[in-house]
Amino acid sequence: MKDPDHLSRREWLKLLGVGGAGVALGELLPPETGRPLPQRQAPNVAWNSSGPLVAYPQKLPLIVLTDRPVQLETPRDYFASPFTPNAAFFVRWHLDQHPNAIDLSRWRLEVGGQVRRVLSLSFDDLVSKYPAVTVAAVNQCSGNSRSRLQPRVPGGQWGNGAMGNAVWTGARLSSLLEAAEVQPGAVAVQFEGLDRGRGPIGKGSHRFLKSLNLDEPALHDSLVAYAMNGEPLPMLNGFPIRLVVPGWFATYWVKALTWIRVLDQPDDNFWMKSAYRIPDTPRGSTTPDSARAGAVRMIPIHRMPVRSFLISPDGNAKLPAGLPVTVRGIAFSGYGRVGKVEISEDDGHSWRDAELGTDHGPYAFRTWEAAWTPRETGVATLAVRATDEGGNMQPDEGVWNPGGYLWNRIERQSIVVGGGGRL
Amino acid sequence: MTRRPWMIVPALGAATAFGGAPVAQRDSLPGLVSAGEYADARPGAFRRPLPQTGGVYSAGPFPLATPGLAPSDGRELVQSFCSTCHSLRYITMQPPLPPAQWEATVKKMIDVHGAEIPQPIAWRIIAYLQANYGGR
Repeated sequence: MKDPDHLSRREWLKLLGVGGAGVALGELLPPETGRPLPQRQAPNVAWNSSGPLVAYPQKLPLIVLTDRPVQLETPRDYFASPFTPNAAFFVRWHLDQHPNAIDLSRWRLEVGGQVRRVLSLSFDDLVSKYPAVTVAAVNQCSGNSRSRLQPRVPGGQWGNGAMGNAVWTGARLSSLLEAAEVQPGAVAVQFEGLDRGRGPIGKGSHRFLKSLNLDEPALHDSLVAYAMNGEPLPMLNGFPIRLVVPGWFATYWVKALTWIRVLDQPDDNFWMKSAYRIPDTPRGSTTPDSARAGAVRMIPIHRMPVRSFLISPDGNAKLPAGLPVTVRGIAFSGYGRVGKVEISEDDGHSWRDAELGTDHGPYAFRTWEAAWTPRETGVATLAVRATDEGGNMQPDEGVWNPGGYLWNRIERQSIVVGGGGRL
Repeated sequence: MTRRPWMIVPALGAATAFGGAPVAQRDSLPGLVSAGEYADARPGAFRRPLPQTGGVYSAGPFPLATPGLAPSDGRELVQSFCSTCHSLRYITMQPPLPPAQWEATVKKMIDVHGAEIPQPIAWRIIAYLQANYGGR
């Protein structure tokens, strides 16, 4: 489609106050600041992103990606335990008018749309009138690790810390839908929270909406959660309730959930039709050329591919050769529980099994550990890979797609091994 | 009439720290007491509310950490127009993006998200971003 706003190169040059033609635009742009243009867009290789640590209300100091709306990343050390503390749990709002304060005496969850009985439920109704169900599940941002992609893509430049695991307690979504009596012919359920912005009505910048198809099995595992690790949700994690869709990326886990609407048409709002879409290809990967040409079919993002992380040692301290240490980490998958985690000491040529920790269920972090004795001084590189019970093993290739989603390449950690420690 | 804050806010040089007043009370949203409240994060400038009994659960305002932008032509335009809806950290966070990608990003804000940025100003914003936050 021709863009009516598109300026010709001539107009460009005029605007920039320079003459001449046939000069690549990139070369014209200006070293007014005296700074050379970066020639490369190297991937971020640090475990976390690089923002400042700031303590937000109800939160420990977390890494700030953006301050309005609030997006905070969890530092690596908090993943040493299978459950991520609420105060350390990552934060990602889309629009800048997200809640600071809510009055529970007036707040209601409305279940409406194509239903026979519209429900208007208080917080107390949710807690007392529906059976409480608990699930341990990983909540991971679709764009977790986006700063790894090559070439880089715009968007939240997350390191690995846009994820967390918690025990979620709430009412089953299916119980609410049964009580509301979904009408025949309904196809999808739309979720809206108090994630609102200053944009015009009808645009993605006005409100955040997500939906699940009514025949989607994940819908039957979903909860409307009012507790997180046995406590109320922090305001920044979606107080008073959020949707929990075990195994699926966090974009569906709508925060400050306030409206559930049963639809008789597929949801074509911006956040389903344009945003959070992945190529319908193996691993959701494509190339910049194919994406630019519109040559690849795009579908809504859904389940999380298998991942594993090495949490400690984190490479910040030197290890003495000859001293046995324990290597620890976590793994998870949206395609079935993790059944195997392996580590490699030789950059992925050979692998041995790590020992798996307590099984907290198919959607939770699975901790793992392995004994390792660094033998040679120098730089050692450890790698970790997980396999889920669906038979999916982490690959050693990255993915690329224009949204920067689905990164799940094998992780590596370099560790400096010093002398003088031989036992 | 729908609120259209960017028609008012982006008066040149009048950019506030957070692009307009917070929405303190919105009766149309059930139970929402306040939203979009941000505050200066400098030590001593930031106050947290003590919990009160009753039905209101408040986190207080969220601290701002607004970055400075590179001083060059167009900076004020970027500060006033781009910060209407989001923090300028959305700019400083990005890797050096190729020129076409900054152009596409600004156009997305206008065409997809409805930002009301007059075309000549949009081009100056694009040129600023390409010059100061661009790569190849």
